[in-house]
Amino acid sequence: MTASSNTAPLVLQAKGLVKRYGQVTALDGADFELRAGEILAVIGDNGAGKSSLIKALSGAVVPDEGEILLDGQPIHFRSPIDARRAGIETVYQDLAVAPAMTIAENLFLGRELRRPGFMGNVLRMLDKKEMLAQSVARMNDLKVGIRSMTQPVETLSGGQRQCVAVARAAAFAQHVVIMDEPTAALGVKEGNMVLELIRRVRDKGLPVVLISHNMPHVFEVADRIHVARLGKRAAVLNPKKISMSDTVAVMTGAMRAEDIPADCLA
Amino acid sequence: MNALKDKLPPLGTLGPVIALLMACAFFATQSDRFLTGQNLSLVLQQVMVVGVIAIGQTLIILTAGIDLSCGMVMALGSVVMTKFATELGMPPALAVLCGIAVTTLFGLANGLLVTRIKLPPFIVTLGTLNIAFAITQLYSQSQTITDLPELMTGLGNTFTIGGTEVAWGVVAMLGLYLVAWFALRETARGRHVYAVGNSPEATRLTGIPTQRILLGVYVLAGFFYGIASLLSVARTGVGDPNAGQTENLDAITAVVLGGTSLFGGRGVILGSLVGALIVGVFRNGLTLMGVSSVYQILVTGILVILAVAADQLSHKASR
Repeated sequence: MTASSNTAPLVLQAKGLVKRYGQVTALDGADFELRAGEILAVIGDNGAGKSSLIKALSGAVVPDEGEILLDGQPIHFRSPIDARRAGIETVYQDLAVAPAMTIAENLFLGRELRRPGFMGNVLRMLDKKEMLAQSVARMNDLKVGIRSMTQPVETLSGGQRQCVAVARAAAFAQHVVIMDEPTAALGVKEGNMVLELIRRVRDKGLPVVLISHNMPHVFEVADRIHVARLGKRAAVLNPKKISMSDTVAVMTGAMRAEDIPADCLA
Repeated sequence: MNALKDKLPPLGTLGPVIALLMACAFFATQSDRFLTGQNLSLVLQQVMVVGVIAIGQTLIILTAGIDLSCGMVMALGSVVMTKFATELGMPPALAVLCGIAVTTLFGLANGLLVTRIKLPPFIVTLGTLNIAFAITQLYSQSQTITDLPELMTGLGNTFTIGGTEVAWGVVAMLGLYLVAWFALRETARGRHVYAVGNSPEATRLTGIPTQRILLGVYVLAGFFYGIASLLSVARTGVGDPNAGQTENLDAITAVVLGGTSLFGGRGVILGSLVGALIVGVFRNGLTLMGVSSVYQILVTGILVILAVAADQLSHKASR
């Protein structure tokens, strides 16, 4: 839909990130560029520096060297909470929700709305009605077909739970949504439901970073593919031009970056 | 149909109330005295100490923790406040505050060990249970403290409604339950207590300071035990170093009977009040039937195992 062009402004950028754990160099001068309105898939073999890169971007680790820019401004995250405050929301694989609490409560967990006036300011009373109304509006907006916002999350299927986590991130992210393997634990149908939702999040104007091992999923939704290898960025590929097997070849090092046809780069 | 279903409380919440009514019905058939106003008022007075301890215990169990030290810490608090008031000649109000401060400090110690050193609550509170017991015995030299100032026993005084005597302490307990119920249900911090017990990792990732909430829960529980110390002194009229021995398990039994899950994150605080009443009704009813106190201990032991088994089974069913 919004085929990202190389002219779209950079939203999130990283230059020369280095992260060492003792003897191990997880990031060895990694670059990263996320453009407005795109879904950027991040792929890489185990140990390629993919997860360290994402952790640096979401504030979970502090890089030893290099800089991260959000909308062109340098930022320094010391915790995931810093990243959230800056408008970067992260969806984690399976730790995302509190099962016994309702959907509405999960959507607003940690960001509850209080009633106006005395009830809210002095008695600290929650505005459950308003949170419920906003939850319904948000979920309708993203076309998540869940009937009641007052049912506990544990009554939902795995895919629906993940949709709640994605919807929460999309609702509160000002700049970027990062999704770490959002479809890894799901069946085919459920996975497609989440992919569909990821597209809608992008179409609402939020750029998405999608970390995934699942090549068909990556090729289905990604506008560009960032390939991490040996702690660096090996290449950024165009999924509409390059084949899945060549992508895997770049990822494993079987195909060198300079051998990739120019029109396959993005 | 569905709208009606949404409005009715789920069976899990009604279960304890039904159990309480059944227990009452049973004991009413066994003893003519059971349903008299005088007896029911006695049950309430017997329940108020366990009831207030159970508030603190509920908070901790909601976070998937447990506090085995609750009854002993309560006993220490009552010994401290009565000794301070009599031997040290402290003004009674100040002595009471000192007692509550001691129990709150025990809560703080439990909380720090659980949150900072990451020790399991079960082991930490098993340790503080023994520490509190030993300090209580050493400080009181195992002697009951008597001749208390009137102010300390005031909550044990009663007033009369419709011919039935009600202790002020019972009113205080009900007030504390209402406050706790409101805070847990209607405030963000209250919901966070549930979230921490439900899924600590997911809660932490939303930016909620989970360790601070856990610590706060243990401190608050210690504070409630201090209030229970005062109620215990008020009810018995003495500082009793051997108090708290039945309350220890009774409070946990009350919470679990009230439907709060030992796995954390599920439960309603008012259920613990119902649970405390069930325990109280059993003790009272068995006494009226002339059953010896050893059998009462046997029955509470069976009750707690049944309640935990029910919790375990419903937990499995919901997975």
